Amino acid sequence: MKIFEIKNCKKCFNGIKVLDDVSFSVEEGEVVAIIGSSGSGKTTLLRICTFLEYMDNGEMTYLSDKIVSSVNDKAVYIGQNTLSLDALNKNKELTRIKSYFGLVFQNFNLFPHWTVLKNVMDAAVSVQKRDKDEVKEKAMFYLKKMGLENKSASYPCELSGGQQQRVAIARALCLEPKIIFFDEPTSALDPELTSEILKVIKELAKEKRTMVIVTHEMNFARDVADRVVFVDNGVVVEEGDAYELITNPQKERTKRFLQKYNE
Amino acid sequence: MINLNSIIIQVLGGAGASLLIFFSTLVISLPLGLLMAFPRMSKIKPINYIFGFVISLLRGTPLMLQLIVWYYGPYYIFGATLGLSWRVPAIIIGFSINYAAYFAEIFRSGIQSIPVGQYEAASVLGYSRTQTFFKIVFPQMLKRVIPPVTNEIITLVKDTSLAFVITYSEMFTVAKQIAAAKTTIVPLFVAGSFYYIFNYLVAFVMEKVEKAFNYYK
Ligand SMILES: Nc1ncnc2c1ncn2[C@@H]1O[C@H](COP(=O)(O)OP(=O)(O)OP(=O)(O)O)[C@@H](O)[C@H]1O
Ligand SMILES: [Mg+2]
Repeated sequence: MKIFEIKNCKKCFNGIKVLDDVSFSVEEGEVVAIIGSSGSGKTTLLRICTFLEYMDNGEMTYLSDKIVSSVNDKAVYIGQNTLSLDALNKNKELTRIKSYFGLVFQNFNLFPHWTVLKNVMDAAVSVQKRDKDEVKEKAMFYLKKMGLENKSASYPCELSGGQQQRVAIARALCLEPKIIFFDEPTSALDPELTSEILKVIKELAKEKRTMVIVTHEMNFARDVADRVVFVDNGVVVEEGDAYELITNPQKERTKRFLQKYNE
Repeated sequence: MINLNSIIIQVLGGAGASLLIFFSTLVISLPLGLLMAFPRMSKIKPINYIFGFVISLLRGTPLMLQLIVWYYGPYYIFGATLGLSWRVPAIIIGFSINYAAYFAEIFRSGIQSIPVGQYEAASVLGYSRTQTFFKIVFPQMLKRVIPPVTNEIITLVKDTSLAFVITYSEMFTVAKQIAAAKTTIVPLFVAGSFYYIFNYLVAFVMEKVEKAFNYYK
């Protein structure tokens, strides 16, 4: 079953094309890694997938909900008639869809004034209106999974970067999303902390969670992802089985890009 | 020989009026300032400009002048004879609106200093705009505005003496009258000491408030 699909996505910033024509889809239980050089538009792509940015043209579907259609070469979002961040922000139709996905940011973006437990629990209670006791049990379950059960009463500022990122992952999991997007979840972390996060994500992959991960860790992409999408200059240059693509890329640009990581 | 005790008692007699100005202004101007901060940040340009202009006017002209306008304005503009009963309301309105302008700017910069990542995380988690403000932005803003708000409150304590321009007998006016009658500056020092003591208390309370927010960075 297809969980997510984006088609022919185009995005300009001030007349400069960032995404020219990007398409990819994610099947249930699949882990897709998005790779590409700096500035190639990976973050922009994830921001479009998670409604933090709008696309200029293209289509987007979550499960059976078509969120964006292309009409007269322009993106049309359900429930809004202008293409602007403000309209996106105010769009009530999108709120329901937001429960389908989670996003883990490069720099965590935890809420500093809340304890770890509240960070993990609150959206499930006050957005999804789920039962507080049930949510608390879930939250503790995920914190335990992240090795943080004894940190539930701490504040984010008392944690290491790696621990904060694990809280952010628990926060995403607690909402029971169908798909989780990760934007370079380890690039703000030291090498030791990086491996602890990658280990956690690997665990999630083993559980067959549907995930899309933007990463610069090629070994991780090769070993953990099912599929890799290589984006360059706003287009998908090559896409395929993770192990195949990384060990034996077909396109010249992909080869050149991967070469840099082998030096 | 002037009796210090009697001076203290007389000066304190004016303290009630000063405290009335102080607390009324605080209670009104803090929420009013928050309400004014929003149109000040409005994306609708005319609203943004109008509030920006009003706030700069309130901050850019002497409070003393504003008090005179509030007190005598109704008479000169509308010919309304409100008399002495209008004096206390005029003072409280004048002070509250003036301080609200300062607080509005403090709240605005406090709100704008919240990193955009907080809004983005909230958006992805599905919080509504109202929830995002009250649960995430506002509490963090409070922590950030405590130091500048403390400064304003301390200034307010001293500014209460400006009510003298419309001959309201607050503490400083009373002290000046005694000083003139008895040809001594002692009452002024007594009044000065009271302002100082009061501000010491303000600083003490605000430090406690600041500490209460220290549980996170
Ligand atoms: N809000 C914005 N306004 C203007 N330009 C932007 C904006 N966001 C991104 N860009 C530009 O879009 C391009 C792609 O940026 P993006 O952050 O998506 O790249 P990336 O692939 O995530 O890079 P990195 O690997 O460094 O994270 C860059 O040239 C960037 O300067
Ligand atoms: Mg990026």
